[in-house]
Amino acid sequence: MADPVTDPVAATDIDPVTLEIVRGKLLAAVDEMGIVIARTSMSPVIYEVLDFACGILDTKAQLIVQTNGVTLFTGTFSFQLQAIQNKFGGDICPGDVYMTNDPFGGGTHTCDVALIRPLFDGDKLRAFAIAVAHWSEVGGSVAGSIAPNATEIYQEGIRFPGIRVCRDDKLLPDVVDLIRENVRLPTMCLGDLNAELAAVRIAEVRLREIEKKYGSGVMDATFEYILETSEQLSREAVAALPDGSYRAVDIIDGDGISDEQIPVCVEVRIDGERMTFDFTGTSAQRPGPINCAYGALHSAVKTVFKSLVDPQGASNEGWFRPVEIICPDGTVFTAKKPAPTGWYYEGSAHASELVWKALAEIAPDRFSAGSYMSLCGAYICGKDPESGEIFVHIEPAVGGWGATSTRDGTAALIATTDGDTYNYSVELFEAKFPLLVRQYALNTDEGAGEGRYRGGFGAVREFDILADDAFTYASFGRSIEPPWGLKGGAKGSCNFMEIESGKETMRVARVPYHALQPGDRVRVVTGGGGGYGDAFTRPPQEVLDDVLNDYITPAIARDQYGVALTPDGSIDDTATQTLRAARG
Amino acid sequence: MGRLASDIGGTFTDLVYFDDESGTLKVEKSLTTPKDLTQGVEDTIRLAQIDPNTVDFFVHGGTTVINAITERKGAKTALVTTLGFRDVLEIARGNRPDLYNLSFEKPTPFVPRRLRFEVRERIDAKGRELEPLHLADLDAVIERCQAEGVEAVAIQFLHSYAAPEHEAACATYLRDKLPGVAITASHEITREWREYERANTAVLNAYVQPIVQRYFDSLEGSLRGQGLDCPFAAMQSNGGSTSFSWAKAHPITLVESGPSAGVNGAALVGKLCGEEDAIYLDIGGTTAKCSVIEGAQVKVTTDYKLEWTRINPGYPVKVPVVDIVEIGMGGGSIAWFDKVGALKVGPVSAGSDPGPAGYGLGGTEPTVTDAKLLTGVLNPGYFAGGRITLDVAAAERAMQKIADGLKTSVEEAAVAVLRLADADAINALKLVSIQRGHDPRDFVLIVGGGGGAMHAATLGRELGVREIIIPLYPGYFSAWGMLATEPRRDFVQTALGRADNMTTAGLEELFAGLVAEAEEYFHDQDGAEEAKLDFEFGIDLRYFGQEHWVTVGAALDDLSVETILHDFHIAHERAYTFKLDDTPVEFVNFRLMATARVARPTVKPLNGAGRSEAAAAKGTRSVHFGEDGRHEARIFERDLLPAGFEADGPMVIEEQSANTIVHPGQHLRVDELGFLHIS
Repeated sequence: MADPVTDPVAATDIDPVTLEIVRGKLLAAVDEMGIVIARTSMSPVIYEVLDFACGILDTKAQLIVQTNGVTLFTGTFSFQLQAIQNKFGGDICPGDVYMTNDPFGGGTHTCDVALIRPLFDGDKLRAFAIAVAHWSEVGGSVAGSIAPNATEIYQEGIRFPGIRVCRDDKLLPDVVDLIRENVRLPTMCLGDLNAELAAVRIAEVRLREIEKKYGSGVMDATFEYILETSEQLSREAVAALPDGSYRAVDIIDGDGISDEQIPVCVEVRIDGERMTFDFTGTSAQRPGPINCAYGALHSAVKTVFKSLVDPQGASNEGWFRPVEIICPDGTVFTAKKPAPTGWYYEGSAHASELVWKALAEIAPDRFSAGSYMSLCGAYICGKDPESGEIFVHIEPAVGGWGATSTRDGTAALIATTDGDTYNYSVELFEAKFPLLVRQYALNTDEGAGEGRYRGGFGAVREFDILADDAFTYASFGRSIEPPWGLKGGAKGSCNFMEIESGKETMRVARVPYHALQPGDRVRVVTGGGGGYGDAFTRPPQEVLDDVLNDYITPAIARDQYGVALTPDGSIDDTATQTLRAARG
Repeated sequence: MGRLASDIGGTFTDLVYFDDESGTLKVEKSLTTPKDLTQGVEDTIRLAQIDPNTVDFFVHGGTTVINAITERKGAKTALVTTLGFRDVLEIARGNRPDLYNLSFEKPTPFVPRRLRFEVRERIDAKGRELEPLHLADLDAVIERCQAEGVEAVAIQFLHSYAAPEHEAACATYLRDKLPGVAITASHEITREWREYERANTAVLNAYVQPIVQRYFDSLEGSLRGQGLDCPFAAMQSNGGSTSFSWAKAHPITLVESGPSAGVNGAALVGKLCGEEDAIYLDIGGTTAKCSVIEGAQVKVTTDYKLEWTRINPGYPVKVPVVDIVEIGMGGGSIAWFDKVGALKVGPVSAGSDPGPAGYGLGGTEPTVTDAKLLTGVLNPGYFAGGRITLDVAAAERAMQKIADGLKTSVEEAAVAVLRLADADAINALKLVSIQRGHDPRDFVLIVGGGGGAMHAATLGRELGVREIIIPLYPGYFSAWGMLATEPRRDFVQTALGRADNMTTAGLEELFAGLVAEAEEYFHDQDGAEEAKLDFEFGIDLRYFGQEHWVTVGAALDDLSVETILHDFHIAHERAYTFKLDDTPVEFVNFRLMATARVARPTVKPLNGAGRSEAAAAKGTRSVHFGEDGRHEARIFERDLLPAGFEADGPMVIEEQSANTIVHPGQHLRVDELGFLHIS
């Protein structure tokens, strides 16, 4: 075992240009880790959805550089590494790799499996590399592992509570066996394990190259440089915000066990260069799996904080030094074992939106009105009638975002919790799964929040089931309480799923295992974002354009925007003035 | 007789003329004439005093296509698509690469919703018809297009990569009913799957088609009127050329014609030097571009995205484009301090107006070129062939800001700017080489562009390449590469299948189909009908369940599935450090790269007259070599150096369009063609 090295060369001895160059090389190294995972993974949820992240942390478990496919892992790495260090402290050796997917050890849900590799230069421990990716299957009560009605984490598949998986750079065969026998799609899972191993391995190669060229002191000095420069920018950004206390309340629509609405709240306190996020008063953890644990809560808050202080700067621990997060144990945001957390992003998305909502008024250039918010993840599983193989399809759905102070909301965009996440190509989808897509369209029927700027539209994706033994399960939030408007803009619309079987149509939001017959139709519908400002101040020409593009009907133009159209489809100025004046 | 290449850039229209008899090159530049691009081409021909009757090959490249898109000046375009899917173009992939931007804006589609029309038809993933095409649905579409004054229509139906019949029937119907309107069916441009990408590709092709058609017709008419009677070729993005008539129907394939010409030129330089594996680097005023050449082949992909950045998803265009990584670092890139005082270089560039401070045209920001001037690499009295006298004092004033920030001298500040600029370039070079599984020690570095030569020695050494090659006229390298182009077309067909269902006979049949397509295509190509065709075959494979693939080469006389799988496992391990022997393998795409072997210019050995070391020697000058410190460097005039000349650095080789530095410890050799080799 090697101790973290205290280098003889102090940060100040290395010139700033070299530090900047090494910073660029570290960013290139994590990018390369990400490329390796995305291109070698076997799971659509990784290579299309990019549900993964990679990072390099210093020996004190501080995040130095990170590449994200999604925002869900913005704040989890430090906690996960700390858990490994606490457990294996004296026995961390070159060629080791550790694995964790434990929500109560800094993680998110059991599907997100993180690999951690200590990076050595000779016998000197320099840093840690971490790669986390969403495996399609880790066992448990349903294929895909996250039953929307789970009541204990034990139903959510195999849990790796921080274990060693490699020694001397070789996978331990016992672990491989354990995985193979406990998951439904072992080839896919072991393929993803390999992809993550390749990623953390490449990080070590790159770090050694940098040390070889720039000397052994350069790594610690650069780490410090990265953290300090980001911290400084972050403090300046917070200081520029008006001091005060900002509150927001919201409601989570059901937990999968019941539809009971779950109140959540935040108070954001800005005091000089410090910012405190206090979730005290938020509901206790729920029986159903929309809970998240502290790691995911930190990601949720840090995501919105980052978007406030500097959206484009590369993420690291320095940015978050002015941040304090307060939340008592055992809430829906800080669930304790054995709470289920399969759909943790339903909870953490609410934590993000609470902070966003609380700060929207003081930072209108950074935040829009409310969005469809929920990932609206829907599983469709079954057996391919031609090959006889089982399949698990999961996809987060794109939806409508809120309007901003300068423009309409963006339509059909992936939720805050995800990021550079791609929807599934219909052509790929149909080649891969025994499902036929009937439509992929903007959800103009349910509409989006009206306003001076209107919300962006959600989307409708409709599938015909061609599979045998098929079933679906899903958990959609914002199914009762629509996205919020800003400055007088109207609320958006809700998310839901429709299942058509024969003449029956049922509308659901959080639905556990539901059997499907060939010929059944499943419709995933996401809501539109909230509006910004008074709809009656939207210029009539923009309202007419929306009508001509079939985004809104003439009736909505008249009733919601106060714009009357003539029978030939142009603006009726007189009637419009009358309508708009009548409201006063 | 001779060959003429014309390259229209944003600022200049370049001309390079190669006289086949004498083996000599003529180069000329004139200002680009945006209102009537033909004018600029005519100007250069006149200025260079070329007799149109002596030209037996004309190749043209330029920024017409990319400018029409960037400036949103294309035709009014409509889209016809499968019922239920008109919003695919607007939904796009739904991704949000700017993760922490909570007011993210998507790229706006090039066709507004009111011009996106749906018709009843449906084909499934296996190419089977589920619903016939209802041609009658098109009549309402035609009426709307006429009423709205639509100038171009793109057609994209689901799974048309597998079964293009519906698209073809729709195109025929629309061409008949909408004469004068440009019609593009997606399968005519690409046979790869993914509906959004194919729709966007078809839309962008339609969007620029009327413009390119008008422009090419006007150019050809005008030049033929002057007596230019030869095949007219257009430079494509895949490193090859095509006829004007084909280009007019498929203009989106011209989108990156300039950079692709440079990479193509580099492949030829490599061949002439007996180097089949090369990394090409082109440093211009605003950006640097790099690309890998393996086995003397330029690497072409269909993953190109217009306007893509790390935070912008851009617009995918599924046509074969030379695989280039571009970064915002060029000669005009400005050095600056960010909010916490960290020194950065680029991506903002001083451009050519006002340009670097040292140009003396009013620029006050310190640039990479200024740093090169202040370190002594550039000769203030011999820049751009002496046409511009560089203003050292102005460069010093600009660089003083950096010196103040770093609390150091102006000279050290200039060195710092160059170190950072070179570090950016190194990261890009590694991205195309090491990160894709190549070992730079197996490669040579070939540079082009006005700025490539003066960074080459430093970059080549850090990258660890075997040798650095600076070809003739690096400042005109794109046009030079265009001259060396051959007619080429890349065919890609998606045809999914697991390895255990694949047979040699099946593979032969697939490739035979592509070969037949290629032969038919070249049969219609003016000037290439009789040429010998060269085919390179490739197959994209992946482990079952993966999304991305690895391309392996294939030989038509040995399409053994076993061999292909063997090659795939090796290629996968090389690229990604592991292979999965027990996992089933899937075949995805079949590729054919078809090139017509036509006569190309023969580069002649240097004419020795007047060349000698003594004639070339221009004394010495103090030059700062970055990490190697300041040295008294010998200066030579490149145009007077004889073949076979060899010497050790430190030195600087000057010529009209570029300066080449040789570090202390490096060795320079001039080969018989006049190329510089640094090792």
